[in-house]
Amino acid sequence: MRILIVGGGTGGTILANNLARRLSAEIRNHKVRITMLSASDKHMYQPGLLYVAFGQMTPDQLYRDQRSLLESSIDFHVDPVKEFHLDENNVVTASGKKHEYDIIVIATGSRIAPEQIPGMAEGAETFYTEESAVKLFKRLREIEEGTVAVVVGVPHKCPIAPVELVFSLHDYFKARGIRDKIKIKYHYPIGRIHTIKNVATWAKPEFDRMGIEYETLFNVKEVDAENQVVRSEEDTETPYDLLIAIPPHTGMDVIQENNLGVGGWIPTDRFKLTMKDHDNVYVLGDTTNLPVSKTGSAAHFEAEVVAENIASIIKIGTPVRDYDGKVYCFIETGHDSATYAMFDYQNPPDLKPSSKPMHWFKMSYNQMYWTSVRGLL
Amino acid sequence: MTAENETPLDTMSTDDLKGLIEIANLVGAARDAMSDEIVTRMSGVMSEGLHLLDRLTRNEGLMQLLQVLDRPDSQNLLIALSEAIHVSSQEIAAAPPAKGGITCLLRVARDPGTLEGIRFLASLGQHMSHSLREQHRHGCEPAYK
Repeated sequence: MRILIVGGGTGGTILANNLARRLSAEIRNHKVRITMLSASDKHMYQPGLLYVAFGQMTPDQLYRDQRSLLESSIDFHVDPVKEFHLDENNVVTASGKKHEYDIIVIATGSRIAPEQIPGMAEGAETFYTEESAVKLFKRLREIEEGTVAVVVGVPHKCPIAPVELVFSLHDYFKARGIRDKIKIKYHYPIGRIHTIKNVATWAKPEFDRMGIEYETLFNVKEVDAENQVVRSEEDTETPYDLLIAIPPHTGMDVIQENNLGVGGWIPTDRFKLTMKDHDNVYVLGDTTNLPVSKTGSAAHFEAEVVAENIASIIKIGTPVRDYDGKVYCFIETGHDSATYAMFDYQNPPDLKPSSKPMHWFKMSYNQMYWTSVRGLL
Repeated sequence: MTAENETPLDTMSTDDLKGLIEIANLVGAARDAMSDEIVTRMSGVMSEGLHLLDRLTRNEGLMQLLQVLDRPDSQNLLIALSEAIHVSSQEIAAAPPAKGGITCLLRVARDPGTLEGIRFLASLGQHMSHSLREQHRHGCEPAYK
């Protein structure tokens, strides 16, 4: 049985290691082979980028060699897929090599697409790449007074990121002693301050307490970098001194180029996590079109389900588990407090009061992540 | 007050409450002493430690070696080995540099200790080759479907 995993992010790596553990005997007896194809030999802990933007972590702390995170029995290649031939059970990589498979898992992730909004790439700061997070940190260090505006594009990775950003901005300027000289204005595209109703209900009084201004129903139309104004589809505008954007995200180009899904999101069965009409094609993490958050934790829980099902198909001929839509998100509510949101298809999140121990739990997880992707946690 | 209305606090003695306050103070002191850096360092060590432990405990060769070393006869061998390392290091440090040549080699080869050592290494090599051949034979069974 040849299992091919396309993508070496959180979902792909957890899946590969989990499978290698479950199928160690079969791999040793050459009955199963696991191959991973990735675009990079490095693995980045993406949630750490927000800490880089506030000077709490340095970029080098976010990386590990991908090979070092994988079980030695996994055949790993830095050779991204260019062509998917799902009807012939093979893919062709950038180097021109053809890889055949019996089961394929597509976990190629997503990317920011600031180019979808005129002026955003030039006029707004962000923190979704190493370079942009470092640049934002430098801008935050420079600013002494004025308006810091936060705008949110859709869809975007990590639904909690906009509110975490605002809480962190508040604490950061407070620590610098200039909070009273900085106006923080938050803009959100729907009629409340967060897409998850319970998060919105919980965050609103927090915003009020911190003196954060907010404008809902603000869908970013364009950024006028020259005049430092951001305009909405709803015909409102906000002048700014520093604009921070959560840019819209899109699936990877290779998914669209191969017609696997509109916008780079692959139509996926919400319980089985298989691609629509393809029982031997599994989809993980950001790459799915599921109505769950695009976060590492969703990819993690999905990977566990897919690993268990692939292993059970090999051992007993049938899958055994369904994905219940579980997502677990830490929410940093400042520089020394945090809470969390856990939810699934059936149950909305029930947010607890923030606390320092939860913040330390999050700080711990920033390190324990490497244990997690190795398939131990 | 009826038993139904009693809260856990009502049933506690002064000593119990004092004990709880002491524990709360201890937790508070530990919390105040902690910092993000400490939490990060401790978690980093724990993360790498878990990884190392996992690799060691899933390493079949190492586990087999530990089982073998646990036997009494292996213990004797280990003791002999450690003594041999100790004595040899002293002898070599004290001995004049070897002159080399065939005569010198013959003199070493005639030594009974050297012959015992060669016999031990030969036996080790013989059994290791046998085990490797067996593993290779079993490992080459069914290929991919």
